[in-house]
Amino acid sequence: MIARIDSKRLFFLGLLSCFLFFYIGRVQAQQVARTGKVTSATDQKPLAGVTVLNLSTQLAGHTDQDGNFSIKAAAGDRLKFSLIGYKSAELPVTTATALTVSLTQENFTIDEVVVTALGIKRETRGLTYATQQISSSAVNDARDNSGNIMSSLTGKVAGAVITTASSGPGASARVVLRGNKSISGNNNALIVVDGVPYDNSSAQQATGTTYNYGTSDGAANINPDDVESINVLKGPSAAALYGSRAANGAILITTKQGKTGRYTIDYNGSAFFDQVNLLTQFQNTYGRGNGGVSGSNIGESWGPQAQTYKNNVKDFYENSATFNNSISTYGGTEKLQGYVSYANNKIGGIIPGNALKRNSLNLRVNTAFIPKLKTDVKLNYVNQKIDNRPRLGDMGIPVEAYIIPRDMDKNELLDYETIDPNTGQPLRKYWSGSAIYDNPYWSTNRTSVNEVRDRITALGSATYQLTDWLSIMGRYSFDKYLDNTDGSFFASTVSVGDVRKGGKYYEINARYQESNLDFLVNGKNPLTERLAITYNLGASALRRKYSSFQNMANGLSIPNEFSLKMATTPEFLAIAGYERRLNSIYASAQFAFDNTIFLDMTARNDWTSTLKAPHSYFYPSIGLSAIVNELLHMPSWVTFGKIRASYTQVGNDADPYLLRQLYSFGLGAGNGFISRSPIKAIPDLKPELTKSFEAGLDMKFFENRLGFDLTLYKSNTVNQLLFLGLPMASGYSRQYINAGDIENGGFELQLTATPIKRERFSWETSLNLSANTNKIIALHDKTKRANITDNNRYATVVVNEGEKYGDLYGYAWKRDQQSGKFMVDDNGLPLVEANQKLGNFNPKALLGWSNSFSYRRFTLNTLVDARIGGEIVSGTSAYLAAFGVADYTTMYREGGLILDAVDLNGAANTKAISAQQLWTSVSQNGRDGWGEFFTYDMTNVRLRELSIAYRFDLKKMAAFKNAQLSLTGRNLFFFYRGKSKLDIPGIGKTNNPIDPEAALGAGNYQGVEVGLPPAVRTFGVNLKLTF
Amino acid sequence: MLYGALLGLSLISCTKDFDQINTDPNNITVITQRELPFMFAKAQSSAAMNRSFYQTVQNLGADLYAQYFALTTNSFSTDRYLLTPDWQRRFWTVVYVDTAPQLKSIMDNTEVGSGEGALANIMWVYAFHRLTDHFGPIPYFAAAEARDVIPYDPMDKIYSDFFTRLTIAVDQLKALPAGTTVFQDYDLMYNGNVENWIRFANSMRLRLALRISKIDPIKARAEAEAAVAAGVMESNGQNATMLKSLSGNDTNGLSQVAVWNEFSMSSTIASYLKGYEDPRLGIYFQPSLTGKAFNSVRNGATATDLGQPRNQSRANSNVGTYWVRYNGEVLEGNFTQNFHIMCAAESFMLRAEGALNGWNMDGTARTLYEQGIRLSMAQWGVNDESIINNYVSSTHKPKAPGDYHNSVAVAQTPVKWGSIEAEQREQIGVQKWLAIYPNGMEAWAEYRRTGYPKMYTVLKSDNPDLPGGTFIKRLPYPLTEVTDNLAELTKGRALLGGADNAATKLWWDVD
Repeated sequence: MIARIDSKRLFFLGLLSCFLFFYIGRVQAQQVARTGKVTSATDQKPLAGVTVLNLSTQLAGHTDQDGNFSIKAAAGDRLKFSLIGYKSAELPVTTATALTVSLTQENFTIDEVVVTALGIKRETRGLTYATQQISSSAVNDARDNSGNIMSSLTGKVAGAVITTASSGPGASARVVLRGNKSISGNNNALIVVDGVPYDNSSAQQATGTTYNYGTSDGAANINPDDVESINVLKGPSAAALYGSRAANGAILITTKQGKTGRYTIDYNGSAFFDQVNLLTQFQNTYGRGNGGVSGSNIGESWGPQAQTYKNNVKDFYENSATFNNSISTYGGTEKLQGYVSYANNKIGGIIPGNALKRNSLNLRVNTAFIPKLKTDVKLNYVNQKIDNRPRLGDMGIPVEAYIIPRDMDKNELLDYETIDPNTGQPLRKYWSGSAIYDNPYWSTNRTSVNEVRDRITALGSATYQLTDWLSIMGRYSFDKYLDNTDGSFFASTVSVGDVRKGGKYYEINARYQESNLDFLVNGKNPLTERLAITYNLGASALRRKYSSFQNMANGLSIPNEFSLKMATTPEFLAIAGYERRLNSIYASAQFAFDNTIFLDMTARNDWTSTLKAPHSYFYPSIGLSAIVNELLHMPSWVTFGKIRASYTQVGNDADPYLLRQLYSFGLGAGNGFISRSPIKAIPDLKPELTKSFEAGLDMKFFENRLGFDLTLYKSNTVNQLLFLGLPMASGYSRQYINAGDIENGGFELQLTATPIKRERFSWETSLNLSANTNKIIALHDKTKRANITDNNRYATVVVNEGEKYGDLYGYAWKRDQQSGKFMVDDNGLPLVEANQKLGNFNPKALLGWSNSFSYRRFTLNTLVDARIGGEIVSGTSAYLAAFGVADYTTMYREGGLILDAVDLNGAANTKAISAQQLWTSVSQNGRDGWGEFFTYDMTNVRLRELSIAYRFDLKKMAAFKNAQLSLTGRNLFFFYRGKSKLDIPGIGKTNNPIDPEAALGAGNYQGVEVGLPPAVRTFGVNLKLTF
Repeated sequence: MLYGALLGLSLISCTKDFDQINTDPNNITVITQRELPFMFAKAQSSAAMNRSFYQTVQNLGADLYAQYFALTTNSFSTDRYLLTPDWQRRFWTVVYVDTAPQLKSIMDNTEVGSGEGALANIMWVYAFHRLTDHFGPIPYFAAAEARDVIPYDPMDKIYSDFFTRLTIAVDQLKALPAGTTVFQDYDLMYNGNVENWIRFANSMRLRLALRISKIDPIKARAEAEAAVAAGVMESNGQNATMLKSLSGNDTNGLSQVAVWNEFSMSSTIASYLKGYEDPRLGIYFQPSLTGKAFNSVRNGATATDLGQPRNQSRANSNVGTYWVRYNGEVLEGNFTQNFHIMCAAESFMLRAEGALNGWNMDGTARTLYEQGIRLSMAQWGVNDESIINNYVSSTHKPKAPGDYHNSVAVAQTPVKWGSIEAEQREQIGVQKWLAIYPNGMEAWAEYRRTGYPKMYTVLKSDNPDLPGGTFIKRLPYPLTEVTDNLAELTKGRALLGGADNAATKLWWDVD
């Protein structure tokens, strides 16, 4: 059954198709006058499809399958030979009858050619939108200790806000390009590996209201050693080809494959060492107690002066080690090329027992056995284990460590259990009567959550060259993973809530599968001597399927025997799953005029299972670029200049099952319960639409010694799928609606320069600078505010009409309207007002500055990056204040703080308070702290990377093709770090207790944290050998 | 290959299965008669609160304000009247999101006059009277309607509707053929026994009538007399208790929080139980883990006080072994014990008070009062007649609970029926409060209405709206109303007739 497309869209698609096919039959070769042959310089094989242009007459032709061409030309005319992937050559026509030209292959990473959507290689000169090419060393050399390839890109991509969850090895990373566009949906860039989208979903994000185990994501499964290059498409321009998921930009990863005639073995080994870099400053004067009086079973450090232990928290964290080993071998003949790699990563976390172990195997075979038919088969297997995933957030392990009383030594801390004489099993021992926190050593020794993922991605494609100008490709890919998570909690554990008699054990089984069937027709034809067209026509069918359930054994028949068989009350929980399909047809055409002016047009129609019938939506794009230095007369020092502009629309479908009101069954007393979902269905759900415009200027001067690439952009996302609060009395807590208009605008600037280029010494420098501004033009006629999540601890993350995405609202210190002074209550303690704006989590600007100095065989690389603006509300800080452990709580312990404020009558405050009164009041036991008192400026400048590499002299080491040893460091120190926003009279500004870029997760809930571990600094050594 | 591409194209635009694919296999999208009994059970469990909500909505709120319990931990500050705003929202979730939609589905999908509809209406009143008695005016008449704006309603109109619903429901149940059961095995309170449901509904009608007895004595009398005439709970076999389960977080809320052991017997109830030598002392509470004594803590202790060994949870009395047991090392919760909703003893105490008001309660105040005590004893397994007789005729007075603060006796009233009306009212108040233990929600509401039993003031109030010596009167509206229903909230606050804080008295709370 063919779905109905409305007539306008049909017309547009039809027009585009006709336009493409109309010309195909008309193509004719020019009459020959001069003939010749073009071969490859590497292997002397003939090259087909080489453009031959007579620069004098502007007539053009192409080489055939045997590399032969013929073109009209007079002696003395200059001919230009160009082919994607090869350096162009220019030759004068001589009297000799046959010309022989050999073209040198260009290294792929040279920025002339990039891999764009669907693995199509294109010359950058023709692109109408911004891309940034990143070399594989960016993710290979100084690796982030999360083990996530995305985290290693921090500071390297102009305009990318990369936030790595603080959940240790395997953490998920949020990559936002050009601002947040969606309130309830995904804002992460799409990851594409070898032309196929790579699932990067992560489990539901932590929001800090309770403990949680962080989340991993798909990108964490990618072996950095397999990466050949990365190309970042910052705008939604690729969406026509990748579909809606590329609306937030795309990160295209090309992996290595075998190459003809080169047999190589690469070894890359590294050892890194992580240590706590930034642990908050503690007070080291006072011990356990309250009101300066020591007491029994007290958790807080508000007692009298005591012998304290400066490093009792620091010593809880470990110095961890990371080992990466990878070996790959590749090579091939003309007809068969292969690539095999194996990598083993072991990444240690700073929380005891936490580690990631990843094994990945990658196999790729390319063949050309049958004439005109090329095949590409890839198989990738990843096994990833994360042991003892750290419990974060409120009641997380870091909170348990932060609140360790200052007068508690390691021996007392290590005394975390007693033995139950009845069972012989350990029982929790804690220093206070708290039923919320456990000793962190109990948590790391007696609770564990482990995760194993097996992931297989496979791809098979066949390309048939129908004619020299038309090829057709068919491709099938699938990506499938199984996640098994188990959790074990010894009996008597309290920090995870309800652990019943005998202990608690669970297993979570999740399974994700995605398959994509693609057909793509590629063609290119010279329409006239000066006008050429390249076009694609494709269709794809995408299926995604997910299912998960949890087997729960809360209560074990034999205590602490962690098996489902021991369950006293076996239970299935969280049974969930979905299936969704997306079918698409798309077309694109690029017209190249004189190879200097390019016009790109794309169109796509999607049919999704998640929208109501007819399930269909359409989106086009158009782009224009011109090589100005060839069009206009420019000084000779201008090497290259291009201006570009494009306009893109991207539609986006929604999650499955939103159209109909759901009622769910759940276990409970009697026969169980059925309840209506608290989320109101949206039967008339419409697709989201992002309209985006960008313009750019790419200039290179002095033979590429200096250059810049500037992009200006603006995007509007309308018909947002908003998750809005409804008055709770309606029986729904939230509803989906389609509304809103979010605008993002900004610029990205990349500056590159080679100030010094001598034989022995060179200096290359590059600067990325970007800024994004966001405005919520409209939300909804009935509501002017949407919450990003329900959580309102510390601060609520909201979207307010007329303001910016990601505003943080919470309790603020009340100001007297007349004098502007702070206000206090009858006790002299701060008065607060709810629902006040505290900040916004988005940075105003990002800056990354990298330098590379080469001297003889040494290379020194540095990366400094800066994040300017943005606020974070720190629940960790509220805990440190509540428990009297923060350094600033030493002031006014004995009382005597009279806050410079006014009382309710406007009279000057005269009531003296103590530090404990102040901090316990504003921190609300740490769990519900008043936001403004714990809001920090996220601005920071840090030395992100530093490395020194030495290339060995291969003349003395004949066995190697390449050998390099490097020393690297990451997150070494801060040049600047923002302080608290609030300047409390008499106390001043305080330091942010956590890394300003730390995060609970990689979702839209940002700008609020609680219970994150300290940031780490990484040092290491890396050895690369090529045989 | 080209053929393959064309085939692919035709496949791709095929959307025949899409509607089916987009149907969630793990959830239900159409509600039929088959689903209604399950929805009723959900509404029942939610209205009485399972463990997830019980702690923050009841145990750390009304149970403390009724001074059954006092906190022994500094992790929460509600015992010092410093409220945690997010917990107010949770009570709204309990009633509006988890209870009301299920009940409304039943009302909308059953015939007028059906037993199922009647039971749904009774549960509706149960859920909503607890909510309005916490907050005051609330969105009521348009509750559970899928609207963007839901108006607030004044308490008098809400109460009036409670009486109407209960009256109609009872009439409908009485009209059912004899022997009819409604929702049968799905009903977690009475297994569908219509007679018990009638008595529960009438008892609740009586409870609500007494609640408005000061603000609207005429209506109060009419409703109370009609309720008694229609048959209220008279025996413990008619008590409303709710089935609980280990599955699905549906455990007994009090058993769950008792395991965490962050609160203990309040000195207020200790003063009465110890002074009266009440046989229920060892049933309602158990000896402390250390020292093995019935020890108590005053409400509103400061952090410094809570640091004293005498105020630690292990040195004080946890709730009784009905809810939690100590195996010598750890506390083990009796998670599946039935949860108490309402007991016959309460009906007798309500009738006793009505009788003092001069209403026709089918008995004298004194006999109803003493019958109430006897029923409460029987309910908790105290069956020795001599013990009960001694108790009823005892002149013992509350005594000093022997707490850290050396508190003196909280009151001077004995159990033995007094001679003057003021004392009799106090006695009824005290004995009802003891009988309905551990129902802190009802006890706090009645304390606010009657001022009984006499309580200790909290040691320290951290809430500037509630200066020392005052008692908490209500809870402020949840912050979600500010963000999602502001215009109506503003009108609702006007209906409240005072500041939206914890010091403003509710409509029926008049002196």
